[in-house]
Amino acid sequence: MSRKLKIAVVPGEVCGGCDMALVDLHKNLIDVIGLADIVFWPIAMDFKEEDLDELESIDIALFQGSIRTEKHKEIIERVASKAKIKVAFGACACFGGVQSLADLYKLEEVLNEAYLKSPSTINEERILPGESKANPYKITAPKLVEINYKVDDFIDVDVYVPGCPPPKEIISEAVNKLIKYFEGRISLEKGTVIAGTRTLCDECPREKPEKIVIDRFKRIHEVRLDPSKCFLAQGAICLGPATRGGCGSPCIKANMPCRGCMGPAPNIYDVGAKLVSALPSLVEIENEPKLSDDELSKRVTIMDPAGLFYRFTLGLSRLVRMVRRE
Amino acid sequence: MEERNKNWEPKIIAFLCKYCASAGADLAGVSRLKYPANILPITVPCSGSVDMQFIVRAFEMGADGVLIGGCHTPSDCHFLRGNFKALKRVSVMKELLRQIGIEPQRIRLEWISATEGKKFAEVAREFTEEIRKLGPLGDKHE
Ligand code: SF4
Ligand code: SF4
Ligand code: SF4
Ligand code: FES
Repeated sequence: MSRKLKIAVVPGEVCGGCDMALVDLHKNLIDVIGLADIVFWPIAMDFKEEDLDELESIDIALFQGSIRTEKHKEIIERVASKAKIKVAFGACACFGGVQSLADLYKLEEVLNEAYLKSPSTINEERILPGESKANPYKITAPKLVEINYKVDDFIDVDVYVPGCPPPKEIISEAVNKLIKYFEGRISLEKGTVIAGTRTLCDECPREKPEKIVIDRFKRIHEVRLDPSKCFLAQGAICLGPATRGGCGSPCIKANMPCRGCMGPAPNIYDVGAKLVSALPSLVEIENEPKLSDDELSKRVTIMDPAGLFYRFTLGLSRLVRMVRRE
Repeated sequence: MEERNKNWEPKIIAFLCKYCASAGADLAGVSRLKYPANILPITVPCSGSVDMQFIVRAFEMGADGVLIGGCHTPSDCHFLRGNFKALKRVSVMKELLRQIGIEPQRIRLEWISATEGKKFAEVAREFTEEIRKLGPLGDKHE
């Protein structure tokens, strides 16, 4: 490559984990810096919003985090308009992330809880984001947008790099692909997802029985989990059947069921509804035909199905948009 | 919003299993029992073959309610346990919808045999009225 690539790392609603994942590339990050100039990365280096004025064009913009405030939206749209390749980096940027679960409530309830009611809040003047009321410093926290959006709700995304945060192997693969693309050696299909193409179950090393039958779902503190057997077969909820593979199964190897941070596997229309189709019917109770319909329903309860099944992906749900947006 | 709602009629998709509920709906038809035109029936092999993603799709395409009709429990399902599967899924799906902010009553599961044309017509009427009371899906957000 004759010139250095210009890379911007742009935060939306983030936790900092995605930045850590980049820093964790260690030596590889230094190799990247040899090929590229970082022109914006406010969390890791001393960049301010004003620095964006000077940027004419950016080769690669990595968008991290979801769009929760008007400020996020403004900055992300501004950078996107200058960027050749736009990457949604991390579960928050790709699917809304864990904070999309706030959309199980109305915005008003969310603001109330976070800024007025929670026990750790002192806000006597009842100032909400977007208001500067009696504030002598004229500092205004940005106003929230109506729901927690994923990045492609506002900009065209070329490449998705999922995970919370994306695993090292996935980031390296993304970096290699992008370098090759800018060297003119490969083309990039719009919307490429850098991850597996099968479900996590297809890659999982655990023993699975031919047919899984359990008598009820158990929460993970209720079972001593056998590290060699499929979690579902032990009654513990694992999102493997509906989750995209490619993460290298770090949770599974640490004896923790998958919570779905790589997002839905290909060809899934709605991940929550898909899991509701797949999991409750694994429960079979011995004298099932003798139970009344009501009794049987009660025996198949799953606590907080929306929170479990859409842990990182509620931002993809079109149903949420139907009820939460004006 | 007001304007649009004036002529609103509930739209209901009914997934009816071929062996029982769908035959029951046919019987209601040939017996000339009256039931509302709001119900759009779709025949499926078994209530246990209704993927819960179909419900999401139906809502997104404009349905206000979804009826699933299958063979009576415990022993009428032609695939043995399909109706039990439907029952287990629907009960969790209702909780999921409730959490999202959609009334769980918008899904209804009924066992209707091939001879129960009358029951089908009654369920269709009752469910249409229930959905009419709830109003259009997604319009509740004030
Ligand atoms: S994807 Fe995970 S690690 Fe990255 S910003 Fe979101 S919550 Fe943090
Ligand atoms: S459900 Fe979980 S533990 Fe079982 S095979 Fe799938 S990923 Fe592995
Ligand atoms: S096992 Fe599941 S939760 Fe863990 S990294 Fe992989 S996709 Fe994410
Ligand atoms: S065949 Fe009717 S419910 Fe299974």
